[in-house]
Amino acid sequence: MAKSETLEMLRKEPGAEDMDFSWLDDPAAERGMRVAPGKRGLTLEDISVGTYGDPPEMTRNQSGRMRGSAPRGDAQNLGAHWMIKSESWSESAMMLYEEALQRQWSSATDIPWEEMPELDDDLELAMSQLCTFLTQVEFIAGDLPAKFAPNISADHFETGLFLATQIMDEARHLDVFRKRALANGIGLLQAGPGAVGLLTSQSFVDMTASLHLVGEGFVQSLFRMGEMIAHSEVDKRIFRLAAQDESRHVAFGIMHMKHLLEQEPERRDEIHTYLDRMEGQVGSTPNQAGLTGGGDTTEALTILLGGGKSETQMDEGFKKLMAIRKRQFNEYVHRLDVVGLSDRRERMDPMIQAFLEPRRN
Amino acid sequence: MPDTTTQASEEEQTESPAQQPVIPPEFQRPPLDMGWATAPTERPPLPKDFGPEGFTLRKADAGSYGWAPDVWPYRNDTPRGAWPAPEAQRGLVAPYTIYEKAEVWAENAADLYEQGIRERWAPATDISWSSIEPLAEHTEAALDQIFTNISEQQYNSNQVLMGWLGEISYGFHEVKLYLSTQVFDQGRHVEAFRKRALSNGGGLGVQMPGFMHRTTYAAFKFSEFIFYTNILRASFLLALCGASDKLARSQADRELFEHTASDLRRHLAYGADHIKHYLRADPVNRDRVNTWVMRGEAMMAADLQRDKPLREALILALGDTIEEGKAALKELRSAQLQKYLRTLEAASIYNHGDELVPAFQAAIESP
Ligand SMILES: [Fe+2]
Ligand SMILES: [Fe+2]
Repeated sequence: MAKSETLEMLRKEPGAEDMDFSWLDDPAAERGMRVAPGKRGLTLEDISVGTYGDPPEMTRNQSGRMRGSAPRGDAQNLGAHWMIKSESWSESAMMLYEEALQRQWSSATDIPWEEMPELDDDLELAMSQLCTFLTQVEFIAGDLPAKFAPNISADHFETGLFLATQIMDEARHLDVFRKRALANGIGLLQAGPGAVGLLTSQSFVDMTASLHLVGEGFVQSLFRMGEMIAHSEVDKRIFRLAAQDESRHVAFGIMHMKHLLEQEPERRDEIHTYLDRMEGQVGSTPNQAGLTGGGDTTEALTILLGGGKSETQMDEGFKKLMAIRKRQFNEYVHRLDVVGLSDRRERMDPMIQAFLEPRRN
Repeated sequence: MPDTTTQASEEEQTESPAQQPVIPPEFQRPPLDMGWATAPTERPPLPKDFGPEGFTLRKADAGSYGWAPDVWPYRNDTPRGAWPAPEAQRGLVAPYTIYEKAEVWAENAADLYEQGIRERWAPATDISWSSIEPLAEHTEAALDQIFTNISEQQYNSNQVLMGWLGEISYGFHEVKLYLSTQVFDQGRHVEAFRKRALSNGGGLGVQMPGFMHRTTYAAFKFSEFIFYTNILRASFLLALCGASDKLARSQADRELFEHTASDLRRHLAYGADHIKHYLRADPVNRDRVNTWVMRGEAMMAADLQRDKPLREALILALGDTIEEGKAALKELRSAQLQKYLRTLEAASIYNHGDELVPAFQAAIESP
């Protein structure tokens, strides 16, 4: 039956006197959407079509109206949402959101805790110290994106959804490293200066530069070297699963910075200053190594990498730690290339430059 | 998209370095210290008998690790149970504002966290999207209007909830972890109902008036926000999901409502337990909560009275005729009120049915 006939019938029905049906008669939002699931199910990318798939570069929507839905003149103004797409947009948000949902894991049941071996005392102490550090910093990577979530426009809601997955992932990271420290008799040990400094980020790109590109990037490189750090299948699996999560967070940040630099190239120098700060070039507390644990954590890592605390083992451990640092710096430089900041290499502290592979052409 | 180092493999492959780098002279190994190994923290018992739920937070947080103090003493990210760094080495004082346990605590947070992870679902693949059959245009439009409302309100709840995470001090980790699962749940609700609205010949409907949206943003206290979202809003949405027998037109619709309802039961459980804890902490809190209750009801009423598209969509979707739909809407509103009152009881607020804000009562009784 044609819609006009249906409407006519509805209007004649008993009880219809107080109904106006204008939302049905003349809908302001696009209709006729018939999106079907693909091989990865029904994804955000699948439904990002037509007027529903076109995030505006600039929006005055301050009412929380979801992109594509019909406005009301009397909707409340929340006065909190960023108007410009490039402020928070990342082309990878939809894909990474769906990937995050497919790759969730449980620290309670996906780690073979019952197979936890008894470790040498020094190794267990060192692992517990490393986990104390990670328990301390992991949820800072949840608190920071959380701080900006209230500002994400409903027109750019995919970013808001991605941030929700990062927060879930970081909760699991805090939780799994805490459980690991408590799983083998030692418990948590010495807390350090932590990562509260990251919470000083004042804009979204300040965050994606300092947290995603540097902080989580360094943690990702560290976790990827987990085979060398771990002395049990339990620990190896934790590092593998956590590395997979960090890859999504890092990818989100990279694609945000890339988008921002393409849209607002005049912000290039500003972004360099966030990285200067993270590399320890602004005279505040250093530095890259601190992000994966200076002092106590470095020593614990050295013991784990060397397999013990004898002089020979410590020397061996320190060499491997330097290999990790090398990988951290080189993967960082690769990320800089991807976002379009290849020129940064020359700007880095000579101490970092010493670790870099020659430029690939 | 360029290579952003995300791996396509199921798990990240960790690996060994190809070669040892030349160590710059500035990087020399400091002499062995191991002061950290003597931190006088509690040695936990070795966990055993994991059972089907595995190594849960409750099991892990044995002894003093599971004990949260009434006031969290550290102003940085020191984890509970670790030995704090000397004050001079604690870095910046964190921007957290909530240090009192009563302002965030719920006894069930640790268990709800693990339950949330066990009960996770993925809208992309866990909904039988292909079960959806074409519907009469006005029926589909009515359902879409309801789905639009759910997606939008969950996005609002989620944005504001995320904003509160950064206020809660690091030591109440069970609460931060539980809330992270709620954030993840609400994100799913946003996209799942949007996907449904775009999959069967329709699209999104009209936005909400937004009085509740504004109220969640305007909450001055975390407990106030939790009352608005986890008690008032979640009770209403849970009862709506309970009307699935009338609303759902396909297996996919039923699954959407069922999964959402199971998430919302956890949100309600945290909300009720938290408000109960907050009320017990100090007698003066009862008057505070009462103010939030009145404000929340008034704002919810403002939305309900103004949201004509939602009202008419519910009437069309709930009944075969308009009269039937109107009767069913009345039933739905009454079920929503009952769910809300039962949740308040779980939060130790009794006999509230006699004290409803008049506009709210009117919106329920004459929908
Ligand atoms: Fe993490
Ligand atoms: Fe992360």
